[in-house]
Amino acid sequence: MEDKELFRRYRETGDIALRNEIVENYLYIASVIAKKFVGRGVEYDDLYQVAALALLKGVDRFDETKGLQFSTFITPTITGEIKNYFRDRSRLVHLPRRVSELRVNLKKVADEFMTETGLRPTAKELAERLGVSEEEVVRAAEAGGVVSLDKPVDDEDAMSFYEVIPTEEDNLERIENRDVLESAFSVLTKEERDLIEYRFVQEFSQTETAKRMNVSQMYVSRMERKVLNKLKERLKKSLVD
Amino acid sequence: MMKNLLSLSFELNRELMTTLRLTTGGVCSLAGLDMDETEDCKVCVTESLLLLMHGGYSSARVSFKEDGGLLVLIEAEGEKKEGQESPDDGISSALLFALAQEVNMEKENECLKAIGFRFVNNGR
Repeated sequence: MEDKELFRRYRETGDIALRNEIVENYLYIASVIAKKFVGRGVEYDDLYQVAALALLKGVDRFDETKGLQFSTFITPTITGEIKNYFRDRSRLVHLPRRVSELRVNLKKVADEFMTETGLRPTAKELAERLGVSEEEVVRAAEAGGVVSLDKPVDDEDAMSFYEVIPTEEDNLERIENRDVLESAFSVLTKEERDLIEYRFVQEFSQTETAKRMNVSQMYVSRMERKVLNKLKERLKKSLVD
Repeated sequence: MMKNLLSLSFELNRELMTTLRLTTGGVCSLAGLDMDETEDCKVCVTESLLLLMHGGYSSARVSFKEDGGLLVLIEAEGEKKEGQESPDDGISSALLFALAQEVNMEKENECLKAIGFRFVNNGR
């Protein structure tokens, strides 16, 4: 059945099966657009979900009798939803933090590369190992490493780095408190705990970890970022509480 | 006053896209665009270049001008060969219109020849 006919029949009957068929036909647009927004501090999977939801809502709003192609109609709709999502949610995932994490990994991976090959790695080689884009590697390498202690940690709380840096007497003790760590780990799934065990207890490389978990290195890289962010948020909350 | 920030010609191939995206990021920073606008501008530059590439052009000139924001003009250069339209071209065009302002697509014999758009500096 042609798309126009599908829309017409869906409009007449309200049949959810027809709506689902239309959505499935156009899910590729959600995927294409979500990919355009990767690299801004939000995972692709989350962007894809937002885009797919926008697509679903868009099907109900589209009027096929106006002569517009659905793909032309839905692209700005999905783009708008993703931009709203960034405005509403991306404040929780701070680009500077992500960049600084990447900088740390960059140094580590570059050292590993040089030890293994005796050569200095290119941005492309680093990107492959880190499971990020070449562009992110270049941006992270360019990012300045010096931060003022008076600079706020993020936009939400006005605390400065000076205020949150742990001292021996108080916060460090609390962070290292076993209960806090156990509580933080309780939010992780078994797969995430396995990753922590392989990467930070047994100190395997991402590639070795991927082999043991039977997943790709890129998957490990993405999951590692996600898990570390999860733990950081949890530990930060423990500090505030 | 309009200020010419940068103009460069280069071969249209995917490997140079990253270089141009980084350059665009630097130019956006000079023009005072914020992070979101900068990322949007990078998407628009990439999509414009892909449209010209699919149109059969092998090189392009990208010009950036500061004018209370950033004006970007992307013009095809050189001889046009047979293009290979992509099913994603429609999405690229719609994305340009969704992200940038004053999008202008110039055609020659029904073929896309140049794309211009503007990003307004949101009060910085």
